[in-house]
Amino acid sequence: MRLKATALSAILIVMIGGYRLASGAGEIETQAEGVALVGDRLKFAAEAFSTECAQCHEVDGNSDLPRLNLVDDVWNHGGGPAEIERTIREGVPGTLMKPMQDRFSADRIADLARYVALLSKDRQTANVEPEVASEAQASDAPSQIPDPERLPIAPPVAVEGLTLLRIIPPAPDLWGAEATQRIIVLGRFADGLERDLTTASQLKLSDPAVAGLDAEGRLVALQDGETQLEAAVGEHRAYVTVQVNDSQSNRPFSFARDIGEILTQHGCNTSDCHGGVKGQGGFKLSLNAIYPRDDYKWIVEGGVYEVLTDEQTESPAPRVDKEQPEQSLLLLKPTQTSPHGGGKVFARDSRGYQTILRWVRDGAPYGEASDEAAAVITGLEIEPRQTVLETDGRHQLLVTALLSNGRREDITDQVRYKSINPLVAQVIGAGEVRGMRLGETVVMVRAAGHAASARVGVIAELIADYPEVQGRNFIDEHILAKLRTFNIVPSGLSRDEEFLRRVCLDVTGTLPPVDRVREFIADTDPDKRDKLIETLLASPQYVDYWAYRFADLFRVYFDAQQSPQNTQLCLDWIRNQIALNTPFDQIARVRIAPEGYSGLTMQYYRIQCEVTPQEIVAEQFRVFHGVRMECAECHNHPFEAWTQDEFWGLAAFFSQMTRLQNPNVLVDFPVAPGSPPSGKTLTHPRTKQLVRPAVLGGAELPEDQWGGLRMQFARWMTSPRNTQFAKATVNRIWGAYFGRGLVDPVDDFRSTNPPTHPELLDALAQDFIDHGFDLKHLMRVIAQSRTYQLTGDADESNHEDRVNYSRSLPRRLNAVVLLDAISRATGVDEQFMMDVIGGGPAPPRTRAIDLVPDMYYGHFLDVYGRPTRQTLPQESSDPTVTQALHMLTGPAYTEKIMKEGGRVNRLLKSGTANQEAIEELYLAALCRFPTQAERDDLEKLIDKQESREKGLEALAWALISSREFAYTH
Amino acid sequence: MMKQQVLEGETPMMKQPGCVHCDGGRLARRDFLRVGSLGLLGIGLGQYLQVSRALASQELAGLAKRKANACILLWLSGGAPQMDTFDPKPTSPFKPISTNVDGIQISDLFPRLSQHMDKLSIIRSMQTKETNHPQGTVEVMTGHRPNAGIKCPSLSTIICRELGPRNELPPNLVAPLPIKHSFAPYKDAYQSGFMDARYDPMFLPDPSEKDFELPDLTLPQSLTPEAIEDRREFLGVVDRLFRRKEQMAEFSTLDQYTEQALGMLLSPNVKKAFDLTQESDETKDAYGRNKVGLSALLSRRLVEAGARFVTVTGSPKSYADWDTHADNNKTMRESLGPVLDQTLPTLLEDLKQRGLLETTVVLVMGEFGRTPDINTQAGRDHYPDCWSMLLGGGGIEGGQVIGASDEKAAHPIERPTSMGEVFATVYKAFGIDYTKTYMTPVGRPIYIANGFEDQLGHPIPELI
Repeated sequence: MRLKATALSAILIVMIGGYRLASGAGEIETQAEGVALVGDRLKFAAEAFSTECAQCHEVDGNSDLPRLNLVDDVWNHGGGPAEIERTIREGVPGTLMKPMQDRFSADRIADLARYVALLSKDRQTANVEPEVASEAQASDAPSQIPDPERLPIAPPVAVEGLTLLRIIPPAPDLWGAEATQRIIVLGRFADGLERDLTTASQLKLSDPAVAGLDAEGRLVALQDGETQLEAAVGEHRAYVTVQVNDSQSNRPFSFARDIGEILTQHGCNTSDCHGGVKGQGGFKLSLNAIYPRDDYKWIVEGGVYEVLTDEQTESPAPRVDKEQPEQSLLLLKPTQTSPHGGGKVFARDSRGYQTILRWVRDGAPYGEASDEAAAVITGLEIEPRQTVLETDGRHQLLVTALLSNGRREDITDQVRYKSINPLVAQVIGAGEVRGMRLGETVVMVRAAGHAASARVGVIAELIADYPEVQGRNFIDEHILAKLRTFNIVPSGLSRDEEFLRRVCLDVTGTLPPVDRVREFIADTDPDKRDKLIETLLASPQYVDYWAYRFADLFRVYFDAQQSPQNTQLCLDWIRNQIALNTPFDQIARVRIAPEGYSGLTMQYYRIQCEVTPQEIVAEQFRVFHGVRMECAECHNHPFEAWTQDEFWGLAAFFSQMTRLQNPNVLVDFPVAPGSPPSGKTLTHPRTKQLVRPAVLGGAELPEDQWGGLRMQFARWMTSPRNTQFAKATVNRIWGAYFGRGLVDPVDDFRSTNPPTHPELLDALAQDFIDHGFDLKHLMRVIAQSRTYQLTGDADESNHEDRVNYSRSLPRRLNAVVLLDAISRATGVDEQFMMDVIGGGPAPPRTRAIDLVPDMYYGHFLDVYGRPTRQTLPQESSDPTVTQALHMLTGPAYTEKIMKEGGRVNRLLKSGTANQEAIEELYLAALCRFPTQAERDDLEKLIDKQESREKGLEALAWALISSREFAYTH
Repeated sequence: MMKQQVLEGETPMMKQPGCVHCDGGRLARRDFLRVGSLGLLGIGLGQYLQVSRALASQELAGLAKRKANACILLWLSGGAPQMDTFDPKPTSPFKPISTNVDGIQISDLFPRLSQHMDKLSIIRSMQTKETNHPQGTVEVMTGHRPNAGIKCPSLSTIICRELGPRNELPPNLVAPLPIKHSFAPYKDAYQSGFMDARYDPMFLPDPSEKDFELPDLTLPQSLTPEAIEDRREFLGVVDRLFRRKEQMAEFSTLDQYTEQALGMLLSPNVKKAFDLTQESDETKDAYGRNKVGLSALLSRRLVEAGARFVTVTGSPKSYADWDTHADNNKTMRESLGPVLDQTLPTLLEDLKQRGLLETTVVLVMGEFGRTPDINTQAGRDHYPDCWSMLLGGGGIEGGQVIGASDEKAAHPIERPTSMGEVFATVYKAFGIDYTKTYMTPVGRPIYIANGFEDQLGHPIPELI
């Protein structure tokens, strides 16, 4: 009746569509009624949990809020199977837990309850303190699945194939009394994987007087000196030299380090709890103890945080009680001695409690008397940065704090871990990563306001004969290296017709003409792909398409107060820059600090209303730095180390604009050198003080330097030293070519959303800088790479990969490109009508990519969701039922195929044979020849129709309605 | 009821759209969903709705018993003058008249409506910020001020999302498309914003036009249902290779939509719902044979057939007739007043007689009010600081007056009311958890009932 190790991982593998069955997974049973929770029932339970429960409880049940946590073994409404069932069935009155009995049958509720029990139990097995349960109890209690006692914490490690052993950190350096350092022993195996062999190795110190090893296998400082640590696994040995310094001096107390650490580790200062913008229950802490001075104030002096003002509305009540330390709120709440919305956080005998108590007894000092105490954490390092596990595998992470005094300190046991996709891998206890199912996830680590992340891949059985793949350029080196590590084999090169369609749509947004398709496929020149890329980059369609893309990004739109001529000037400016291939930093500077009538300042308007400097700076950051800063307008950014003050310092660069009455153009208020500014000023919303412009990390600009503020800002933003500009730009273009950014969404860079290929992102950015921000060069490098030119055909090892570029993935054409493609394939141009008063038809051969959304109307474009440019372009547009209707009834689909002079009409008139007509329609729409089977089947279908005309129309409709047509692939 | 204090002349700093509280821990799930694992399970990616944990009031338990299932919004596009309509003042040339509810007076422009005030309540202390049409429309329809960084979902799409479609009918409709020209700046106000687009509205043509026909719901004459079947057979061949090659979550959504679309096209129920010829001449006359009247009649048919949210564009001629910058009094007297006084009472009575008023929320509002003072062109200009609206039906109490304004209807003197409170009231009528938040792509939860200062809006207790 007992389960194999990591029952949950096996179950989850089954649950993900049954692609892979782990050994023994099919035999999983619950002990409740002997009913197996497998197959559809398990799938239902997992689905239902994801949709119904995970909203509050998190997908793994491991909510940060104790009262919502299902896996901490604390049951507020009973943890037995019947009790869980009852809770699901009847809900909990007065809470958001609503009864589900009307929605699911009793059986399904029972399954769901069992699933909840499984989630919880699997988690319990992983905890360091397994509950001791007697055999009898275990077999009596149905919810005890799997039996924690029987689970090996780590599966035995086989050492066959071990080739090399190493220890990290390579040079342990311990400072201070009782300093500890975790060590990891890593073994490289013949299969190319590096596995964590720490628990399987024999550790020995050459001088046991200098340092020792504790029960957890950590080095402990004993006395100053040097000693050698040896790790042995079988025949293999690895050595590192351990330094112990200052072993007799205790590190002086530091509030920031010692108390901040406890608050962070226990999740008190997460954004869900007191670290939220407004805090929780009137008690505010800075997120992950990023601002310890503020935390100290809230704790020791008390007070309630007000978002809108600096002033206190209530008399402050300290949260420590120096007279009666045990009565401090800071101790009563987390132990739930006093009611605490967050539940019980720690017990009285815990390290956290004892540290806080000692601190209060000592008078609750801030503690920065000495340099050492004042040493703050300036960064985190996590090792290994990239880990590959087998399902069931485990790996210890090592987290090192970089201190302001230059030292490094092991804080593996004191930080907070979170796996972004806990279904793939979970973190247990102090940094032990457990593989759960195939996939990739990121483990976030937080401490002292800093974050670091490690990428964890969970792979299937290793591919024995992993093929050698030759890359074309540096992009491929990075992509291939990661694929190799993650045990994914890339697909082969694309077929010519596949590549042709893809590269034409990506570089020019335009389908190639039929003749060009035939020509390219027939061409035997080995360099034909490179030549095609050059042809496309030099084509007028390239200019049209990228002018359109950047007009979307720069939000060129007409509005009632502006003339069509002004809008056209903006468009022409963009078009010229693309045509001249102006370095992108120059384009950006003009966009950030536009001047003159043809400038883009009109975007600073929303019909008569000037947009605030705050909104402008938030938009510029998102467009050119790929960063969403807007949260920092109202409060320190919740995820990042940006303060509200910094945000307003940046906004102040746009505070000096003044409006010329007619036409609507904004200019910087003229300031003579050395004289004080005379334009508008910006007032800080909290402090009500004048805000002076300051770049991130820079000093405030004195008022006699306020001339041309926007250009000063633009220069800073686009400086080659400011690599974020290059990174954001290459990432955006990469996203356009691959359908997802290396950071995705492309304009959402933040420490909690790390890139999939950080080194590649750096390399692309550096290459872009080195080539003078040359957009065409960047696109050429991307289009020439093998990675871009892979086929879309999946194989066994890569069909589930969506993030590692092991093959080409389909991307839906957007509204304008799709409409132009339909016009091209059917041979019937769209006639657009100008959408402003006095407007008329657009000039002949105007394409959808040439249009400004609110100047030209198009029902198709509305239905398919053309961006209105009132907001920045969204990452994706979703299909809708209206689109499906339009496909059946809309004129683009129904009228174009039969129109006089169109492709079908021409084929009919010229008396082209069915086979040739089928071929031409295929080449026009899909850029490929039909297969023999397609030819045969379609010819039969055409013959069945009442007329040849009907048949070809039906075929043309089918082609432009097909998935292969509506996607780039 | 939360007490809101808005001080005159003070610029509120919280102008980011709806930042409730910033929420890093919640990112995990979004990223998880993005990875697409749930897609493999066939779980819709649009389901990452957030449940607000902050306010689990006893009230929520009773939500399930609510009975509203549809909403008609009569949209006074352009912005109606509060003092000349539902908040009569001595400064208005129109005189207050009594209504069928003791103590409630409205303008003498509405003698017929005055006999139906038991069905509707008036809020006289509406307060918003945006002073121009597209922005005001966004603010009133979504509860959030516009911002280049983020697009918030409209009330209509939220209600449709929470309830789902009925009887194969498109759930969210606008009758008619307010304007063909220059509609782009307004479009965001009607849509799903950062949520997926499946509940975006379908914009209908003007039913008072002679050749009224539904562009996407009508097969071209040359195309029979059989021909569609033939075409789909061709598609089966063309799509064969690609279907074998690629399996994506998005594809199953597309297939599902195609089936739904076919269902709609071929469904007699849908066809009937749009067919105004089934209505008698008397009914059409009663509603008014103009754009507003016939659209309102269509909205009743649609709601009866299963639509969830129908926005009726309440300007009889062009888009923003209510935008009376010139000749306010004349326009109100000659055109706007009579049209509203004909259509709205007819709609209310019709809904009532069919038993639909019990289940249909009726909202009457525009994007702002109008200035207390008459301008040099005898008109009134845009004025968001104090305006009036009507609501009732679907279990929302009628015959009430919420809030009050000063002697010129220039400022609320009692209970300034936010869009969030109106939204929360409507949600409660539908049994929708009004404390819900939706998660933006950056992991910032925003309230679906976004009140002043981005605080949660609560239902108005007198109304629900």
